[in-house]
Amino acid sequence: MSFVPGLGILKGMALTFRNMLRLKPTVQYPEEVYPVAPRHRGRLLLLYDEAGALKCETCFQCAQACPIECIDMGGVDTRDRYHIHWGPAEQYGERREESALRRSGRPVPDATATPFEPIDTAALDVILADEAYDPRHMLAILGRTQEAYGYLPVAALKHISHATGAWYAEVYGTATFYDQLRMAPAGAHVLAICLCPSCTFRGAGRVLAAAEAAASTALGGSSPEGAVRLEATACHGASPAAVFVTLDGAVQAEPTAKGITDLVTRLRAGHAPVGRA
Amino acid sequence: MVSRPWQRLSPAGRVLLPLGVVAGGLGVVFLGGVSSGILPNLWSWVYEALSDNLPLLRFVVAATAVLLFTVPTAFVIIYLEMKVIALQNLRLGPNRQGPWGVLASTLHGFKVLAKEDFTPTGADVPVFTLAPVVVYLASVMSFLVIPFAPGLFAQDMNLALLYFFAVGGLGVVGLMMAGWSSFNKYSLLGALRAAAQIISYEIPLTLSVVGVVMLAGTLSLNTIVHQQSGSFLDWYVFRQPLAAVIFFIAATAEGNRTPFDLTEADSEIVAGFATEYSGMRFGFFFFAEYVNVFILSALTVTLFLGGWNAPLDLTPVWQALGAHPGAIDLGGLGVGLLIALLVVPPILTVLLALPFWMLFTRLRFWQALGIGFLCFNALVGAAVLIWAAFSFDAVMGLLWFLGKTYVFVVIFVWMRATLPRVRIDQLMGFAWKWLLPASLANLFVTALAILVIAQVRG
Repeated sequence: MSFVPGLGILKGMALTFRNMLRLKPTVQYPEEVYPVAPRHRGRLLLLYDEAGALKCETCFQCAQACPIECIDMGGVDTRDRYHIHWGPAEQYGERREESALRRSGRPVPDATATPFEPIDTAALDVILADEAYDPRHMLAILGRTQEAYGYLPVAALKHISHATGAWYAEVYGTATFYDQLRMAPAGAHVLAICLCPSCTFRGAGRVLAAAEAAASTALGGSSPEGAVRLEATACHGASPAAVFVTLDGAVQAEPTAKGITDLVTRLRAGHAPVGRA
Repeated sequence: MVSRPWQRLSPAGRVLLPLGVVAGGLGVVFLGGVSSGILPNLWSWVYEALSDNLPLLRFVVAATAVLLFTVPTAFVIIYLEMKVIALQNLRLGPNRQGPWGVLASTLHGFKVLAKEDFTPTGADVPVFTLAPVVVYLASVMSFLVIPFAPGLFAQDMNLALLYFFAVGGLGVVGLMMAGWSSFNKYSLLGALRAAAQIISYEIPLTLSVVGVVMLAGTLSLNTIVHQQSGSFLDWYVFRQPLAAVIFFIAATAEGNRTPFDLTEADSEIVAGFATEYSGMRFGFFFFAEYVNVFILSALTVTLFLGGWNAPLDLTPVWQALGAHPGAIDLGGLGVGLLIALLVVPPILTVLLALPFWMLFTRLRFWQALGIGFLCFNALVGAAVLIWAAFSFDAVMGLLWFLGKTYVFVVIFVWMRATLPRVRIDQLMGFAWKWLLPASLANLFVTALAILVIAQVRG
């Protein structure tokens, strides 16, 4: 290659000129957004600097932002013991909450907080075998379980989940979705009100509001002293002329707001709290 | 009328309100003066006084015009620099202030105006204050001799080239003043570097031009341009190629442009002599730099590329196409002209607004009308410019001159985007070991050639 003075300069100028005409890769962010899949969360990657040291400063911002708490930070101490770092307490206290721990499968430090009481599953096994362990029969399984145990214990839900293969979240979701399914023992008396369109048309809403006010609770809950439990039921067309209300399974003759208020008040008055003067 | 307190006025209102008051006052004075007969008498007296001192008037008008011309020129070149370098660096460059960011440099100017103007303790205040003025003045005064178009120049001196280099050398004085008065050893060192560089390159710059001067036989820039009329083969760049190259390289160093911008090498020494300057005084140094870029490009074009001469005489082509002065005779329309003046602008405005209104649903109609009005003005402006270019030699010459000059401005910018900065010893060695001998050789060869040709032609 013969030496031509100024050739390098010309080459450089040609390069910059070509660059001037090239398309620019800049994305003008607020105006134009690079297409990103809606569920894209990026790739988790630990970066190392040129000296080989980890760049992560364990600021816990990623763990804080992670919606399903799949990010954790751990490390070994000077004695090679592995610890999970929890971050500063005042900032990440919610990550120590029991629900967060249980959700992420970590051990719950409070020994007295047992997740659920064990039950005798013999009756449940019969029901499950009868329903062929089919998760599509979940509502029937849950209904029959409630008939057998009086309510839906968490242990039963776990067992159903294990036996049918349905996720516990699905079983739990189904159990909590339907008003007639309950996860706590019913009160001394169960006052059930039908909320079907026909009953609603006859004033079920007013009756329910009166019952709730008298029992000091909401539908599905018990009155504070435990005398009455409000539940939903289904009349299946049995009561075309009036609201369908049952007390412990017995249909009430006077299903009006005033009548129900009197009934609940009477029940609560008869349920004297123990140890009260 | 002014029910809003001053503080509640918008910035635009604070500009417009005093202007309105001033305009109203002037209108009242004008009406009163005309009706009472004072103003016509005064005007005739002023007219006589002005026509008695025509050369003085010409100088004042020219100096004012040149001073006013430098500001938009600097803004345009600063914008060009930002945008072209950005594009060549694969960036987008300014694109937020106005369309394609064209207002970026103007807003930079306002920003610099609004900044604190700081004078360091111990500075020599009068000199410190005057230094940017001297630097800027040197650039502006160089403008006075540049022929923009046939008949469009401030002063036709027969010593124009000498004047140019003399006044251009005044800039060094300003730099030294800045460096000395800053009370800062680094500023002083920067000023010394700048002075050494500019004075060193002044020599090849001047010597390279001497060849052209010998060929032209005059120092008048106007005459030099006239001698290059005809086709582009008459340009001096073909008779003095070496001189042109040397001139351009030395001009790069004179204007403190990359690769010879050691004077203020932004990334290495903190602006050199301008270290202690802030606010608009600093702005003046940079204005002067960009005005210098324009002036050096203009002088390159004037000396070597035919100034305002077109590369080829295209008049026959235009005449064959029917474009000659008087091709459009609007006066022939008679009363129709008046009606057209009334009717055409609104119709064209609405017609030009409609596409915007239909394409951009977010625009309200009055906004579209505004855009349509701007488009109409641009259209009419372009039409008038084309008409003027074909009707007046001065306009055509100005267009050619500015076009050629901005080609060189872009080359300056282009070089800045490409070339790395040289070292100070390389800089000085290049001036004294290469450019100076080359320009001397060019001078002697030119002289010899002139003698030989004169002998041969007898």
